[in-house]
Amino acid sequence: MPTIKINKLDKYYPGENGETTHALKDINLEIQDGEFVCIVGPSGCGKSTLLEIVAGLLEHTDGEVLLDDIPVNGTSRDIGVVFQDASLYPWKTIKKNIAFGMDISGVPKKEQEERIAKYVKMMNLSGFENKYPSQLSGGMRQRAGIARALVMNPKVILMDEPFSAVDHLTRCTLQEELIRIRQEEKKTVLFVTHDINEAVYLADRVILLSPRPSTVQEEYDISIPHPRKRSDEYLVQKAAEIVAAISIGADKQEAVEYYI
Amino acid sequence: MAAKSRESVVLQPVSKSGTGKASKRNITYINVLQVLTVAALLGYMEYAVTSGKINRIFMASPSSIVEEAFHIAADGTLWPHLILTLQEVLVGYALAAGVGIIVGLIWTMFPKTEAYGNVFCSAIMAIPKTAILPLLILWFGIGFQSKVVLIFLFSVFQILYSTVTGAKQCKIEYLKVARVFNATKMQTVFKVMIPAALPSMFNGLRLAAATALTGVVFSEMQSAKAGLGYLLSESQNLLNTPRMFFIIILVTLISVCFVKLIAAIEYLLCHRWSRV
Ligand SMILES: Nc1ncnc2c1ncn2[C@@H]1O[C@H](COP(=O)(O)OP(=O)(O)OP(=O)(O)O)[C@@H](O)[C@H]1O
Ligand SMILES: [Mg+2]
Repeated sequence: MPTIKINKLDKYYPGENGETTHALKDINLEIQDGEFVCIVGPSGCGKSTLLEIVAGLLEHTDGEVLLDDIPVNGTSRDIGVVFQDASLYPWKTIKKNIAFGMDISGVPKKEQEERIAKYVKMMNLSGFENKYPSQLSGGMRQRAGIARALVMNPKVILMDEPFSAVDHLTRCTLQEELIRIRQEEKKTVLFVTHDINEAVYLADRVILLSPRPSTVQEEYDISIPHPRKRSDEYLVQKAAEIVAAISIGADKQEAVEYYI
Repeated sequence: MAAKSRESVVLQPVSKSGTGKASKRNITYINVLQVLTVAALLGYMEYAVTSGKINRIFMASPSSIVEEAFHIAADGTLWPHLILTLQEVLVGYALAAGVGIIVGLIWTMFPKTEAYGNVFCSAIMAIPKTAILPLLILWFGIGFQSKVVLIFLFSVFQILYSTVTGAKQCKIEYLKVARVFNATKMQTVFKVMIPAALPSMFNGLRLAAATALTGVVFSEMQSAKAGLGYLLSESQNLLNTPRMFFIIILVTLISVCFVKLIAAIEYLLCHRWSRV
């Protein structure tokens, strides 16, 4: 059964003096329970827009988004979001940041402690619970951001370029951790990235969006099991395929900032 | 304040890297010079006044200022005036802080109220407060009330607008996080917007603290039956120059302490996480 179903989704942004931006056009997608899907596409095509619509943070213009057959309108307990720069609150300690969602929904303190302890351990943040975000490295902040989403135990996790602000080595570590967590927790993940290698390494399926107004240009099944090797022939070839498809789609568009 | 902390950030690595000794010696050297300058000035004042080079009416010798301070403190003249001024400042300032912050939060929570109220507040803010003192005296008399109202008007807009600015600077991402977790409007305001606005809010509170005392001393000098400002203009009429000097020093000290107090509260609330 699909967890997320997107039917004929359209999104226009209103602009100044009546000009509108047609960001998404007729997007159709089905994301299965427990699937890890990466979304790639040229810069400005509407990846973040799509993610925010699924998260219930943004209204769409036409079509529908279903979560377990129920239309998404507004944010939901079942969906967790990890933001690009972690977006931790600087005035809260790491522990309080992770506890934020539980605070909001009134989870008893004792249960909070237990759940925090679990995810602090899982995200390798032990010893940093009482530090403030400014005292942590970018990679650690990102882990805390992931812990904050996971601790609410959502069915679906949406991530918008979560690792783009950290250095290459940290990114690789975070990727490994994400794969591990995803296997432990059996989450459905929708993951936006600029990095094609990252996409093919992580995902069960890669969705390529076309330039604006963006539609689903192509879908790629990455049908090999984890653990994968980054240098795996199959993955390298898939990545090359996707990059080639992007440059076809972007022929008429301005230069693309992709790296493989 | 901001400049100060930035400076200390710049200085830190210097003192750690071993050249700290030299820079410390430099600072004490400058400090000694500064102390010497002040001492020389005070010495000259003392000499010039006691020797009659400068008329006693125009200048007071440091010794006579200290003497006068002990005098009015001991015979009890000072205390009622001091206490009244402090009360006026505290009541006026507390009202301004309360109203400024609450209205600021209402404005950020309900943008329509800002659209409605902003014009009026800007208009009232534009009036030089000292110009409406005569009116305030007409309405509230020359006592406690008119002073409180004046201090209120001196401070409230500063606090209001820095609260609004602070809340508006709250990053979109912070609000998105709150929405993802289904926070109510109240929760968003109290758990996200207010903390995010704190630094800017305290900026306003500090500036307002500095102007609050100006307001009260000025209005007491204009028309009052008591208060430090009244005492100041009275001593001018009596040609009691040492007392004038003492009151000016006292008012300055109160003002500095007040600002420091606000800064200390800010430090307690924010220093662990705010870097700037
Ligand atoms: N609030 C908005 N108002 C108007 N137009 C917007 C708004 N947000 C985004 N857009 C436009 O919609 C299009 C898609 O934006 P979006 O941020 O979803 O792209 P993206 O694929 O995430 O880009 P990137 O890869 O750079 O993150 C862009 O052309 C952008 O200019
Ligand atoms: Mg984006």
